[in-house]
Amino acid sequence: MTTSDSELGLVPRPLVGGEAPERSAGRFAGVPASRKRERAQMEGRAFFTSHWLGIALIAPQILLIFTFFYWPAGVALFWAFTLERPWGGGNEWVGLANFTAMLSDPVYWNSIVSSAIFAAASTGLAMSTALVLALLTDRELRGSRIYRSVLVWPFAIAAPALGMAFRFILAPEAGFMAFVNKIWPGLWNPALHGADAMICIVIAFSWKYISYDFIFFLAALQAIPKSLIEAAAMDGAGLLRRMRDMQIPLLAPTLFFLIVINLTDSFTDSFGIVDIMTQGGPARATELMVYKIYFDGFKGLDYSGAAAQSIILMLLVIVLTIAQFRFVERRIHYK
Amino acid sequence: MRTTLFSAISTLAFACLLATPATADPVKIDFWYGNSGDISKRVQEVCQHFNDSQKDYQVVCTSQGSYYAAVQNTIAAFRGGKPPTIVQVFDVGTLDLMLSDAYYPANKLMADNGYKVDWNNYFPGIRAYYASSKGDMFSFPFNSSTALLYWNKDAFQKIGKTEAPKTWEEAAADMKALKDAGYDCPFAFDISEEESWQLMEQFSAVHGEPIATKNNGFGGLDAELTFNKTKFVKFATDLKNWYDQGLAKIKSPKTGEDYVAAFASGHCQMTLTSVGDHGNIGRTADPNMHWDVAMLPVYEGTKRHNSFVGGASLWVLKGHSPQEYKAAAAFLNFISQPEQALFWSTVTGYIPVTKTGFEYMKSHGFYDKPPYKGRETAIAELNVEPVGSGPGGIRLGNFLQIRGELSNGLQEIFANKKDVQQALDETVQRGNAILRRFEATYKGKQLP
Amino acid sequence: MVERTPIADILTQILLFLALLAALAPFGIVAIAATQDLRTVNQVPMPLIPGHDLAKNIVEAWARADLGRKIVNSILFAGGVAAGKVVIAGLSAFSLVFFRYRGRVLIFWLIFITLMLPLEVRIVPTYAVAANVLSPYQTLLDLTGISWLIEKVTSVRIALQWGLLNTYTGLILPLIATATGTFLYRQFFRTIPDELIEAAKMDGAGALRFLKDILVPLSKTNMAALGTIMFVWGWNQYLWPLLVTTDAAHGTAVMELKELIPGSFGIPDWNVAMAGTLVIMLPPLLVVVLMQRWFVRGLIATEK
Repeated sequence: MTTSDSELGLVPRPLVGGEAPERSAGRFAGVPASRKRERAQMEGRAFFTSHWLGIALIAPQILLIFTFFYWPAGVALFWAFTLERPWGGGNEWVGLANFTAMLSDPVYWNSIVSSAIFAAASTGLAMSTALVLALLTDRELRGSRIYRSVLVWPFAIAAPALGMAFRFILAPEAGFMAFVNKIWPGLWNPALHGADAMICIVIAFSWKYISYDFIFFLAALQAIPKSLIEAAAMDGAGLLRRMRDMQIPLLAPTLFFLIVINLTDSFTDSFGIVDIMTQGGPARATELMVYKIYFDGFKGLDYSGAAAQSIILMLLVIVLTIAQFRFVERRIHYK
Repeated sequence: MRTTLFSAISTLAFACLLATPATADPVKIDFWYGNSGDISKRVQEVCQHFNDSQKDYQVVCTSQGSYYAAVQNTIAAFRGGKPPTIVQVFDVGTLDLMLSDAYYPANKLMADNGYKVDWNNYFPGIRAYYASSKGDMFSFPFNSSTALLYWNKDAFQKIGKTEAPKTWEEAAADMKALKDAGYDCPFAFDISEEESWQLMEQFSAVHGEPIATKNNGFGGLDAELTFNKTKFVKFATDLKNWYDQGLAKIKSPKTGEDYVAAFASGHCQMTLTSVGDHGNIGRTADPNMHWDVAMLPVYEGTKRHNSFVGGASLWVLKGHSPQEYKAAAAFLNFISQPEQALFWSTVTGYIPVTKTGFEYMKSHGFYDKPPYKGRETAIAELNVEPVGSGPGGIRLGNFLQIRGELSNGLQEIFANKKDVQQALDETVQRGNAILRRFEATYKGKQLP
Repeated sequence: MVERTPIADILTQILLFLALLAALAPFGIVAIAATQDLRTVNQVPMPLIPGHDLAKNIVEAWARADLGRKIVNSILFAGGVAAGKVVIAGLSAFSLVFFRYRGRVLIFWLIFITLMLPLEVRIVPTYAVAANVLSPYQTLLDLTGISWLIEKVTSVRIALQWGLLNTYTGLILPLIATATGTFLYRQFFRTIPDELIEAAKMDGAGALRFLKDILVPLSKTNMAALGTIMFVWGWNQYLWPLLVTTDAAHGTAVMELKELIPGSFGIPDWNVAMAGTLVIMLPPLLVVVLMQRWFVRGLIATEK
């Protein structure tokens, strides 16, 4: 394997079609990069030609998601167009009535706004904190072995423990926040101030997802071979420069993965936190879309309403994800 | 040493022989319930008592973690073709089940299996909640409770009173006196969705104020909410005023200490909560604190009516074999025995649901001394007047969502976003829309 | 680590230590609560001085929740979920990235969409499927008239039945079908340079060989991360195991945890509940610690 100095650097190759430029830096620096791509494919990636094998490899997952997701989800979402009786025994077809009722209700639009704020805040907080922590841990200073484990522990906490612990930390009369309230009385009260309640659920949710993001960031960073870092250091790049120009760009695929997953989960997986901590209050300040679905459908037995809301939520998340794939992924350099 | 070992082995062998069942395996049935924590442990004990008391049937009791999960999981199991035989359904879930075709009515079950049940033995106030319009009971009341006023005797002594307030006017005066005597929190309450039942529902019950038309929904699915036009508006206004004056404080897990813990720790001097908390407060309060319970206050000049029963009842589901129904009937018969009522009320704060149970407990001196003294107030509160003079409870569809609307409305009041009448009007408007949806879902169905 | 940066080092250590405290604080609160007695644990604010009742509370929680057997069940369950996800997601992503066939993009999105509808919303029909996993196919056969046809021709009535309740299969299968792992692998596989594939093809190695000899070794850290996260995620699953296991012998630890939590009107024995929580959280915490050994930085550029 020869390693020309151009291979270590960033040599743009001529673009084919509308594809993004691909770099050949990174962990595979020992592999010769080809300058020209003769292929005519849109994606410019090598592949195996056996069709049937490809399909056979993905068949198990397709079978699983059809049986355990799409079939049940189809039944559940069909209920959005009817008024379904929880115990069965009949339903009324109402077409789009559930949707129109939902979309003309200002309370519902409030939940859309709350969900968007929550998603942005928790994703931003979790990812930025996790990235910083991963970069710091990756430096492998003394004690890094402990950090690598303990910083992942929050993801393993059981929900009841999370609720109890955060109640202790964040409740205005208990524990830590009581000090704050002694100095500035009435400043912090998540039972009555909507913004405080939103902060509570953002912190509790992010706390878990910082761990989640951290482990994936760390895995990606640890896959960057030491020789590369040393080479860059010898080229005169300081610590921060290496972080900014080498490590973070190499993290781009992981970053994209985590942004999409964090945003999606903050829309679809956050009802547990809300149920434990605020139950949508005070005065609907933390009534996230998914919590409303959980409350109406799982607790309140309004299957049709919950199904209609679920369809709207799914469409929202799908559009958001497509937007990310189209606009953000374009700028990621995979190779 | 040797002989002991030999005798031990032979005893063991003999015991193994004896243990081989010569009779058929017991018929097993599933009972799904929603309680968790300490109450769940007690339910398991009840099941164990039943299993130990006979050899023909065995009931397998599984906690689903919460009332909602119990109902939801049972629906899933039922629609998947594998329901449990008995399920515990909480008050709010009653109507959906009643309008469905999924259950085996209790009165029919017992009659079909040869049990003669005196349905009049059940306290009228409790019976009315779970009965059809003809008075047939479709489910078995299991864990029943009602709301009481808890008051701190030590604090009241300081303001020169030895009795709990009987009217809200008197209570307001007491709150002021307590505040002046230096107590920071004369009255604790909570306005989360799970907690509005005592502020609105029990209040309306004892005042004889309707929550909805058509006898609170017992008369038909086309009922409409009315609590924005009743004395409840006055109560909500008063509560807000007391809150603004610092006489009443909101105590919930979100502020740190919920209102029961606040009362038990002596931080707050009065609160409204279920008789079910009587035991907890006894266990967690300082033993030197003197406290007691009393009936819910009513406004001056109002005739006192029965309070509503809360809690859950046991329903038997369709889709099982005659053997399993025999087992279910035996179990349900077992738990309605007076001895079981004594056990249940001893280990939990729930009240006996049958007159014979209550008499049995009285004759055993249950209510004579702490920690149980005082709980008979709950029974008295449920039976102030004969049944028929008012709705026996609430029979409204999607009531959980309506409770949620009320809770949001109350929160808006207390966060100063809306005034009382405006918030309640909006709650009722949204609540009525929910009721109409429910009605449309069950188009053409009559209340049984 | 490459050059001397004492200030940056101190800063790093401070920040990481603060993060450590933030990460451990909730666990500490749980641990302290587990040592208290009934009265102390209900005080607000709860005193932070540990009590003496840890052993007593653990014994009570263990007995009440039958933790021994449940923890074993949970280990098998979570391990199965983690292994299943790592394998299935890997195969699917391999197929999506390194092959060409029609409908690839659609299939990727179909897999992805499974992240967007929580189980709680589709619990009722999912349970029906678990009760008889062949029921969708039965319905399809019925709807398309195939089963009627077969009955007419061969007088054999097709009644597909395969119940998954109270089985490990029923516990595990529905949970391994989701998209996180597939997406993660996809991101990683797309960074593999084409030269590796071309070289493999030139060497005559087939796709499966490439997968086994090249891709899997390269994916080790990703697999470790995914496996760890999925084990923990599977461990903490509550709703699905509750529904699918009606027999107490098959229950999982976190199901029992829910049952330990004080409910309304019961004695608020949070000390016992937190003691149980502590015990139940130990295995996933241990797994996290043990899996760290797979996060080893390569020294040189990895080669074929």
